[in-house]
Amino acid sequence: MKIAKTLGAALLCLGLLTGCTGQGVQATPRNITLVAKSTETEFWKSVFAGARAAASEYNVNLNIVGPETEEDYETQNALIEDAVAQGAEALVFSAISYTENAPAIDAAAEAGVKIAVIDSDVDSQAVGVRIGTDNVEAGRMTAQAALAAREDRLVLGLINYDLGSRNGQEREQGLREELARSDRVGEIYTLNVLAEVGDAREKTMELLRAHPEINVVVGFNEPTAVGAAQAVDRLGLGGTVDVVGFDSNVETVDLMQTGVVSALIVQNPYAMGYLGVEAACDLLGGETFDPEALLDTATQIVTRENMFSLEGQKALFPFDTP
Amino acid sequence: MKQRKPLSMTAVLVVVITGVVLGMVLCTVALFLNAYRRSILRSAQTSSRQAVDQVSNTVANYVSDMDGVMALVKSTLQTAPQDSQEREEFFDNLLKIRADVAAVTTYDAAGNLLSCWALDHQPREEIYENLSFDAAALSLYAEGYISQPHVESIFEGWYPWVVTMPAALDAGGPEAWVALDLKFGSISSYINNVGIGQHGYCFLMDQSGILYHPQQQLIYSRLKEEDTAALAVRSDGVYSESNVIYAIKTVEGSPWRVVGVSYVDELVTSNVGEVTRILVLSALAVLLAALLSSIVISRALSRPLKGLSGAMRQFEKSADRFTYAPVGGAREVQALSESFGHMVVKIQQLMDTVRREEINLRKTELKALQAQINPHFLYNTLDSISWMCEQGRNAEAVQMVNALAQLFRISISKGHELIPIRSELRHAESYLKIQQHRYKNQFSYRFDVDERCLDFLCNKITLQPIIENAIYHGINGLVDEGEIVITLRAEGTDVVFTVADNGVGMDQAQIEAILRKERSDHTGIGIKNVNDRLKIYFGEGYGITIRSEPDEGAVVTIRMPQVREEGDYENR
Repeated sequence: MKIAKTLGAALLCLGLLTGCTGQGVQATPRNITLVAKSTETEFWKSVFAGARAAASEYNVNLNIVGPETEEDYETQNALIEDAVAQGAEALVFSAISYTENAPAIDAAAEAGVKIAVIDSDVDSQAVGVRIGTDNVEAGRMTAQAALAAREDRLVLGLINYDLGSRNGQEREQGLREELARSDRVGEIYTLNVLAEVGDAREKTMELLRAHPEINVVVGFNEPTAVGAAQAVDRLGLGGTVDVVGFDSNVETVDLMQTGVVSALIVQNPYAMGYLGVEAACDLLGGETFDPEALLDTATQIVTRENMFSLEGQKALFPFDTP
Repeated sequence: MKQRKPLSMTAVLVVVITGVVLGMVLCTVALFLNAYRRSILRSAQTSSRQAVDQVSNTVANYVSDMDGVMALVKSTLQTAPQDSQEREEFFDNLLKIRADVAAVTTYDAAGNLLSCWALDHQPREEIYENLSFDAAALSLYAEGYISQPHVESIFEGWYPWVVTMPAALDAGGPEAWVALDLKFGSISSYINNVGIGQHGYCFLMDQSGILYHPQQQLIYSRLKEEDTAALAVRSDGVYSESNVIYAIKTVEGSPWRVVGVSYVDELVTSNVGEVTRILVLSALAVLLAALLSSIVISRALSRPLKGLSGAMRQFEKSADRFTYAPVGGAREVQALSESFGHMVVKIQQLMDTVRREEINLRKTELKALQAQINPHFLYNTLDSISWMCEQGRNAEAVQMVNALAQLFRISISKGHELIPIRSELRHAESYLKIQQHRYKNQFSYRFDVDERCLDFLCNKITLQPIIENAIYHGINGLVDEGEIVITLRAEGTDVVFTVADNGVGMDQAQIEAILRKERSDHTGIGIKNVNDRLKIYFGEGYGITIRSEPDEGAVVTIRMPQVREEGDYENR
């Protein structure tokens, strides 16, 4: 009997040896859906490029969806429901509304879907990981860039987007905190516009006409920055009004060379997309993150002076694989 | 410590054979896997080198291609006059045919932009910074210089990543330099498609860093890094590090180098994993075969041995009735079995002989003992009868002679050794009668007999010598009338006679002497003989015991088994 046991144990060991070979990348593809705030801006295209790169690396069936405008949280909620219904195992999500998107995310999590939030947060306990810009810090950087752009007293026009969007509000909070520490700051005029170039441009032009004393205009995301820069350019205020914008767009980069745009706070959208999909895969693989801690993708201030340095080029210009 | 039970032969064989096979199989598998792993690693290195060689050749072709384009551009610029139709057509065609060429620019000796050709794009009116041409770095622009990747920065709304090939113009005019801005186009699509293993890849670098990487944006986004500083100082060749194989090859005719990166794990492990699975499965099969064959072998060896040992045990238990059936098996075992068979026969013969000899010896002894008794008794009785005749007591003499005759008839008993107890008692009584006459009624006697015992058998002439002893040594020396009481009782499976007298008795020394010594005087034959006979016949548990004190009489006890047939004890 004893021999039989010993032999059994030996055979078992050999069996285990055979068992523990062969692993690596997931054999069957994961279904992951990326629900963006918009599908139009260069920022989001760069996010998608990063997400696709991660998808091909980690064997993911990636589905990318987003509403037409950056205010349409209802469409986002519908897209979340659709994704869950179509068998998405994980969502990479950027919330238009911190509060209004929460029920849809909770419902998706209820259905067993893992949630990775990128860029803009949502008020849900179900979020497994948060990846993106430290927005309060980005707001501070905006303030620093504005203060660095001029030596005189600042009168600010703040072109922010939807009030319900978490990241815009955090940026504004950081900006105000940082500006409050300076004695060179006067009036701050705040606008909340649609996250869309035309609307931002018109409203900014109105604002500048109404308050000619404004000498710095801040656009808090890519379309508002482009709109603000266009407004300043069209009013012929280049050089008298400094524009501090967010993210890289051909227009803001062009206008930076002509001196309209003084600084751009450039986020790392490619990394958000890439890390978002990667983290979603990790969540599906059973890994856990601290959802309260933000995985910070680096943010840079690019000014006219450093825009064509190697680092500036890398931050501003995506490398499109031909 | 607990004494360990010795292992059975089957267990030992199975453990040893299986253990040896297991050890050998494991060693073989380990050695083979090691060798296999090394060969896979070598082939991985080779395939890595081959991939890098191919990429390097392709890139070299591309570079020489571009050198050709550059030569063409230079000759056109030197022959066709500035702003001529011929130039415009040439560049229009060139840019259409060579999609890789993003822009062609010319500069004067001071590095000022003179003209620029690009499809569908015009340079800005005010160029903020031109990354394609650096007047401060003219000394670097030797033959074959290719810049680091940079953004095309002279156009409005168009910022492709390019590398620049500058060249000096030796025409007489103001144009001193020309620069070709090259997109990665064909090289990148080639490099993107080179895979080494599952996740291996190639990238292009020069001394200052990465030129083109399939995951360029990952690197620009700081999600991935290549240790270009460490790779830059290495010469061409293949380098295996803990988990990565680097293959490096310089592109001919350019400062560029191709680096191939592949992962040992996925190249080696996947192959080795497959082979390991096969090996382990076959090892399991071998092990199973070894296990089964060892069981079969040990069974074949141990079964006949078990049979043999079983036969020996049985033989040990009852040697007489054992008949040996030979066991089959290996030649050695058969030899053993045959020898055992011979031995059994020999031993049984020997035992038979010993038994027969013992019986003969006993019979001879008995006869000798009986022969010893008869003459004594005859002498004594005839002595008494002659004494009666001398006294003229004829009637008594006749009675005596009758008693004697009966005595002898029982004594003879057709030659039987065992006679019924009833006859033995009659015999004793005849004897007592004879002795009563002789001693003139100096003693009386009495029988106290359990009737159930009368039909058992006893050795003939057992009581008479005891009675004789009681008379001669007990009653004879007595002044008062003596009494002899003879009892017979059954005790368990035995019968017990006692002969008690109230004579002078004996001390312990006398008792022992009677039981041990042959007495030399004419009357002393008997008690020892009777005792010996009983012990020879029935065994040590039987025989005579004497209890006596001086002046207290004596009690002689005779113990023997209850025997119903003479044959019962004949063969003991």
